[in-house]
Order: sequence, then structure tokens, then C-alpha cells
Amino acid sequence: MIIAFTPSADETKLLASAVAELIRPGDLVLLAGDLGAGKTAFTQGFGAALGIIEPITSPTFTLVNQYQGRLELFHLDVYRLDAVDEVLDIGLNEMLDEGGVTVIEWGDTVIPALPADYLQVSLRMGEGDDDRMFEIELVGPRWSARTRALSTALAPWLGEAHEMPRVRER
Amino acid sequence: MLILGIDTATAQVSVAVGGHEGVLASTQSVRGKQHAETLTPAIEFTCRQARIELSEISVVAVDLGPGLFTGLRVGVAAAKAMAHALRVPMIGVSSLDLVAFPLRHCPKLIVAAVDAKRGELFTASYRQVPGGLQRLTPNHVVSPDDLASELLATAEECVLVGDGATRYREVFDGLHKVEIIEEGLSYPSAASLVMLAHARALREEWVKPWDLQPLYLRKPDAEINWQTRDGAP
Repeated sequence: MIIAFTPSADETKLLASAVAELIRPGDLVLLAGDLGAGKTAFTQGFGAALGIIEPITSPTFTLVNQYQGRLELFHLDVYRLDAVDEVLDIGLNEMLDEGGVTVIEWGDTVIPALPADYLQVSLRMGEGDDDRMFEIELVGPRWSARTRALSTALAPWLGEAHEMPRVRER
Repeated sequence: MLILGIDTATAQVSVAVGGHEGVLASTQSVRGKQHAETLTPAIEFTCRQARIELSEISVVAVDLGPGLFTGLRVGVAAAKAMAHALRVPMIGVSSLDLVAFPLRHCPKLIVAAVDAKRGELFTASYRQVPGGLQRLTPNHVVSPDDLASELLATAEECVLVGDGATRYREVFDGLHKVEIIEEGLSYPSAASLVMLAHARALREEWVKPWDLQPLYLRKPDAEINWQTRDGAP
């Protein structure tokens, strides 16, 4: 588990870019976090680093958005799904087979339908409006092998568990 | 009786029209994706080539899968919509039955393998019987390695056919008594669909459009626990 903190939206996007630099064809990234935590904002920084020029918008209503960067980006949001396996209905298996990168907002809710090989980025809001806390888990062989590389890439923002702020009352 | 056959269960989109006289016209194209864009022109073209109007269709047959979810649903949805609009019944056939069908004259064990993605295959086995093929196993999902073990365990001469077989060719190459059927027969074809459906139509083994369900071969769905999400630490 890697823990990181960002003080602003811009820093959050830089962190997302740093993650994107390590992305390889066929990768799967799950974004977890409450409404407003910044899953789509993260994806915007992520996509920009992949060379995607087209504006990245929330896939809550479209279910899937697709973009072309140095890799193809499949941006999913399962918020409107009711059953775990519905993520397969929207063609997940075909996407994973394409050799692009798949990012699933709320992806933690459909883990039973996913291969056990993904990066899970959980975003939490901090004490202020713009700061964010990240809990990043590397699951499976493809990602575990990149643990050190990821820690190095996220060095500017690394933190310790005990630094985690109290959960804000909302 | 004229049958319209639609197959979008795999990377290939295939349409055929036929009846008592056999298959009148058929179309197939393999471009991987965009089944939605490919299917309607294919239906129009095939009907024109067969010199028939859609109103002359008396049964709509469709490949039910198992196959690729998004592509499969394009065909099943289109077939249902057409059958409903034409007020005709439907016949559904599994993709594995269709992949095996062209090999029905082969006396060996016939094993159909359709690519399920994520390193898995949909598979079923068949044997020649008078009049066609008999399916010996239920449709099931298996890894290429496990299928190879299953084939070796039968210790029989077998032919392995389907886009799953060609995709994982290196797993099956050189296996004792296993012959891989190469390109040209890898995909289920709408021509096979029309022929198989015709036999069933003669026995009136058809269903109403709303009773037709695709074959996903998935475990029962679990609901997403949105409560957990809201309270996540």
C-alpha cells in the first residue's frame, strides 16, 4: 500500500501523470472514493499524460468513454450498474483484450468480476477543499513488480499512515 | 419457408438467407469490432442478393452465443427486433453448435472452442450421429491449458475448431491425436445457422422473440453493495 498526499487539484493531476508514465498495454486501474473525491479529475491528469488531447469527461451516464493517446484509454464508470457482472455486459473483457489501459471509476465495487491484476487508487478528501489523500494498492503480479518504480515516481507526495487526517464531517 | 440468419457472436459478422432450397445468399466479414455498423448493411445486402423482401421472411434465426458480450447482443437485439416487427417466430442456436456443424462429416471427436477473452475459451464436444451432430458435453468455460488436458484425457482422435483454437494454437499444436482446423472454418457462420434452423423450423421448434435469451455462460449475478461504497473508510 502506498500512501500519498496532494495539496491541490494541480498536484493531484501531476500525481496522476506520474502513475500514467508507468502504464503498460493491458493495464487495469480502479478508482475508488466518494462522490467529489476527484476520480474524474484524476483521470484527466492521467489521460493528459497519455497524450490524450480530447477533454476527458465523466462516464457516469455513458458508462464507457474511449480515447486515443499513446495507448487507447477505456474510461468506465460503474455507478449506474446494479449487478457486479454488468461490468462484463459493457464489454470489459473485450476492452482488457485490446492492449490499451482501462480505468474504472467505482471499480472497487465490481472486483469479483475483474482479473486479480490491477492498480487500485483510493481517493479521500482531506481537511481542506483541495487536498487529497491517496491509498494505492498494487494487486497481482503485473503491478507488484512495479511497486518500487511507483514509489519512486510518487516520491514528491509520499506520506505515512499516521499522517492521515481525520475524516471530515460531511 | 424463408429463414433469415444473423450471427454476431464472435469477431465475424455473418448474415444468410435460405430455406427449402438451401442457402440462397450469405455474407461474412471479420473486422473485429463495430458489429452495430456492419450488421444492418449486411442484412440489406444479403436479402438483395437472395432477391427477397424482408416481408417474405418467416423465421428469424440467431446465434445465441456464447461469445463476445457486446457483439453478441447487437445480433440478438437486431434479430429480436426484426422478428417482433415481422411477427415471426425465432430459433436460437449456440455458437459452439455452429462452429462444429461444418465438421459434421468427420468421424472423429469434434471439439469447438470459441474465444472468451481473458485467457479463457467457451467449449463443447460433439460426435457424429445419423442426421448430424450430438453434443456430448455442456457448454463450459475453460482455460486453453485445461482444455488441452481434457483432450489428452479422452485419448481419442479429435479435431479442434474455432477462433479459440486458432488463437491459442501453440497450446494445442503437436498434441497427440489433436488436429487443429485452420482458418476458413474458425467462425460460426450464418449459412450453418440457416441450415440448422431449417431442420428445426420443419419440426416447428421455434420460440417467440421475447422468450429468446442469449447464452452468456456466467455465474449468477451478485448485486453491487452500494452501502459498502458509501461507508468506505
